[in-house]
Amino acid sequence: MKHAILSFAINRPRTVYLIVALLVLFFAAQLPSIHIDTDPENMLPASQADRVFHNRVEKEFALYDAIVVGMVNEKDPNGIYNMESLGALHALSSGILAIDGVITPDVMSLSLSDNITQGKSGEIRFSWMMREPPETPEIAAGIRSKVARLPLVLNTLVSVDGRAAAIYVPIKRKDLSYPISLEIQALADDLESNDDFYITGLPVAEDTFGVQMFRQMAISAPLAGLMIFLLMWYFFRNSRLVLAPMIVAIVTVVITMGLLVSLGFTVHIMSSMIPIFLMPIAVVDSVHIMSEFADHYDPSKDVKQSIERVVQHLYKPMLFTSLTTSVGFASLLLTPIPPVQVFGAFVAFGVLLAFLVTILLIPAYIVRMKPESLANLARLKAGSDANTLLARILRAAGRFAFSRSKFILAIVAGILVLSIAGVLQIQINDNPVRWFKDSHRIRIADQVLNKHFAGTYDAFFVLEYQDVSEIENFKKRAQALINDAERAGADIAYVRTEIEQEAVGPQQYFDSIIAAIDDLLFETEQGVEALEALMSFTEGVQVGSKYFQDPDALHLIETMQLALMNTGGVGKTNALPDIVKVVNRELFGGEEADYDIPATSSAVAQTLLQFQSSHRPQDLWHMVTPDFRSTAIWLQLKSGDNQDMTRVVAAMDDYLRVNPLPDGVTANWAGKTYINLVWQDEMVAGMLKSLLGAFVIVFFMMALLFRSPALGVLAMVPLTVTILAIYGLIGWIDKDYDMPIAVLSSLTLGLSIDFAIHFIQRMRTLVAEAGSFAAASLHIFEEPARAIARNAIVIALGFTPLFFASLVPYITVGAFMASIMVVSALATLLLLPALMGISRRWLFCSEKKAAPEIN
Amino acid sequence: MTNIRLIILSAVALVLTSASQAEMVTDPDVIVSRANLAAYYAGADGRSEARMIIRDAQGREQRRQFTVLRRDVEDGGDQDFLVVFRQPSDVRGTVFLVKKHVGADDNRWLYLPGLDLVKRISAGDKRTSFVGAHYFYEDISGRAPDEDHHTLIRTTDEFYVLEHTPKDPSSVEFSSYITWIARETYLPMKIEYTNTAGRVYRRVEVVEVKDIGGHPTVTKSRVIDLDGKGETSMEFRYIAYDLGIPETVFTERSLRRPPRDWLKRPAGKK
Repeated sequence: MKHAILSFAINRPRTVYLIVALLVLFFAAQLPSIHIDTDPENMLPASQADRVFHNRVEKEFALYDAIVVGMVNEKDPNGIYNMESLGALHALSSGILAIDGVITPDVMSLSLSDNITQGKSGEIRFSWMMREPPETPEIAAGIRSKVARLPLVLNTLVSVDGRAAAIYVPIKRKDLSYPISLEIQALADDLESNDDFYITGLPVAEDTFGVQMFRQMAISAPLAGLMIFLLMWYFFRNSRLVLAPMIVAIVTVVITMGLLVSLGFTVHIMSSMIPIFLMPIAVVDSVHIMSEFADHYDPSKDVKQSIERVVQHLYKPMLFTSLTTSVGFASLLLTPIPPVQVFGAFVAFGVLLAFLVTILLIPAYIVRMKPESLANLARLKAGSDANTLLARILRAAGRFAFSRSKFILAIVAGILVLSIAGVLQIQINDNPVRWFKDSHRIRIADQVLNKHFAGTYDAFFVLEYQDVSEIENFKKRAQALINDAERAGADIAYVRTEIEQEAVGPQQYFDSIIAAIDDLLFETEQGVEALEALMSFTEGVQVGSKYFQDPDALHLIETMQLALMNTGGVGKTNALPDIVKVVNRELFGGEEADYDIPATSSAVAQTLLQFQSSHRPQDLWHMVTPDFRSTAIWLQLKSGDNQDMTRVVAAMDDYLRVNPLPDGVTANWAGKTYINLVWQDEMVAGMLKSLLGAFVIVFFMMALLFRSPALGVLAMVPLTVTILAIYGLIGWIDKDYDMPIAVLSSLTLGLSIDFAIHFIQRMRTLVAEAGSFAAASLHIFEEPARAIARNAIVIALGFTPLFFASLVPYITVGAFMASIMVVSALATLLLLPALMGISRRWLFCSEKKAAPEIN
Repeated sequence: MTNIRLIILSAVALVLTSASQAEMVTDPDVIVSRANLAAYYAGADGRSEARMIIRDAQGREQRRQFTVLRRDVEDGGDQDFLVVFRQPSDVRGTVFLVKKHVGADDNRWLYLPGLDLVKRISAGDKRTSFVGAHYFYEDISGRAPDEDHHTLIRTTDEFYVLEHTPKDPSSVEFSSYITWIARETYLPMKIEYTNTAGRVYRRVEVVEVKDIGGHPTVTKSRVIDLDGKGETSMEFRYIAYDLGIPETVFTERSLRRPPRDWLKRPAGKK
């Protein structure tokens, strides 16, 4: 296999070029159909239970993702209750209604709110809160007292301090939120007012992130490429030579991304980082080949032979390092988060592809280089960099590591203890709004609006009533009554059909039966009494089936609202009882004493019939379904952090354990803030599984590679220390464990093992060659240590362009990649020798006879 | 050649016959005034039972069933209405009493049996939902013709097509509406409302017309919310005109004690 590949590459370089060029062209052509996806909902598989429930709730309650527009006036003594501000709010709201993609009937704004009040002679009155901009300062100021009487408006559409107003703009599709937010911004910019306008909301954050992510991909990946190019040029001082690994990197990235796009996968936050991850990894193998080639190249000999020998020599370690890196990333497939799986799978593929491209393209490239260019390589012969600063530092480090084993081990043990303490402090948290820097306008809007309002993040606590035997019981009992009617001579055929039909939902089912009985009662003169009995029985069951219309159930909802507020994480709740109480108060004259729930289900029904006679009857169905079997309590949260949502969920779990819900009633969560929490939980569990899975596989690969379980264990040490140290650091510096951080564990595993493989394998070879551990321990800190250090530097610095990204997850990845490289290089170059020094007899004595297997 | 001539001839004939069948009215105010009479003032009084099905965008239904008694004080002028709910049973006995005044605010009362409460309803805005339906209060009671400017935009074989623009745009949610008024019966058969963005967002259409006691009467109609995708269909049954319903039926006393005799279905008719 490897001979065939090699001889093909060396003897048919033009064919290799042609094939690679065609592949690149083909996959590059796929790239324009790229589809960006930043919807965190897609972090969960479409069939995931919480997601399915969330989508059902959104549909049943006609809820849409909403952009939150805020208007703040800190100067006027009346806050936003002045003519100019309210005029601006009115104009902005009207402008928003005209934007395509906005669900106009459900836009919530003060100027689109309905007010329910007492008229001059005590009549009940529905009137628009602010149909026209207020014409006098008194009218403007008067709106404040109206708002104070409407619990659904206060602290949702206008802040309690009167300084801020909000417009909730539901949109048809999430991917419209960025363009719509720009249109709203343009409208706000054109307003002549002294108010400040802010736009936020999860969909805007997500969609804006998508747009910026796209730009980031176009900037960061090429920058990382440039950085790597410069570093390699620094090390090799030969731009023609350095060009080759760059081509390998570009070929790998283009084919991998082209494949991803052509297979119909969307590009998520994680997959957008694939090019940045692949670029340094793809370069590493080429660096090995070229270093080695430069060492062995002799202008008097045939180029083909030299390169063939080099590749033969490096084939196995390169294959193994590629395989282990690939396994590290492939282990992400064990995490049940589709975008993470896609990321893992394609980086794993890319790593192997890079290996293949390297052993095909690099030999072909070198064979086709001009003799003059090759001659330049002589300068790079081994030893030429033996006196650089790096070389001297490494030599000193080697002496130190081998002689002060116990000291190093003690230090590492200390670090491990600290790291474990740090790991225990890790805060698992994510919030799409925090993907932006503090200074980003979305972050600022988020801060300002949540300072004034009870919260701009929403979640829904949904109560559902179910009685599976309800209709069966009805059918059984109705049977006797319908038989009575039939015996009395009524033509009950149609009524019977209606009763026996398969019920779609209880309301429609009972409605159609009642309508059929009603019609029959008009036509028949026989069995009237029995039919009327059936009618009133059916009506009774129907009213009873409207569970959340019952005063007891409404009181239950109130209790839940209170419990939610008591969790401490909720700014405000809005629910069905709030509507009922307001209408009841206004029906009875507007006194606070009547702010209550009526005594019977019928009274509630009649109260709601009045609410439905308003300008916005549809608002009712955002809180209860028309069959009154499901009700949604709206939560306003001040923070979209998963942690805060977790606390509320946990507190409610505790509450419900002590105060169980009535029979047949279940409680569940929905809403974007909650969904974020679900996938975060799944990710943490999944990542642990991925990491352990990869750890076991890589250990077996190492034991196999070194034909020694003991050396296999040794190989696992640096990466274990690195992972613990990095995550310990994350715990100590209070960096939230979010998605990019989670993914880094696999990356660490995949990359640190490479250093260990090279170090152990070279050490083993050196012990065999030099015949003594002492001699080998000096040699290992020459060229082999330099290669490892050089690769660590290339990869670490290759990620530094990410520091300049405008999006936080990119900065995080850049910073931690660099740290991982430094820590794992240190762990390899200091800890491994220390351990070897202590256990050398056990590890190496028996090895003397065994021929080195892989170099 | 002969074919073309034939077509032209028949076209001319068609135009002539239809023109001779119904007189041609060109004054939009006259058309609107006749339409108002045809749609809201049939007979001196009347009763009918409405069954409304309110369907939301997801196809979920709510039903309302109520009996309407009406008495005209003056043709084209003031009217009294009594609306008594029968279904769903939890709102049974809910009553609306309306004294409609042309040129002045209506008087409206409400009785809620569950709360045993009589309450006046503010005359204010008539473009609120009628008990959660896609119909507005004003669709049920009739919009006064003098609230709009009317323009006849075309006359077809069947319809007068008029455009109406509100005299006080701030009082309504539409910027204009177009009605298709049947030339034969003067019943408005279709109404389309346009919003300020220039988009038709609401359509009211007649589905069935029957002759009841010599009065062409809308027996089925529906209103479609083109923005929200919901619709309400309304069916009128057990319709009777000129029953001689006394004025006393339309008083506050009827709120707590609905007039059973007049609410009862007339025997033998459907």
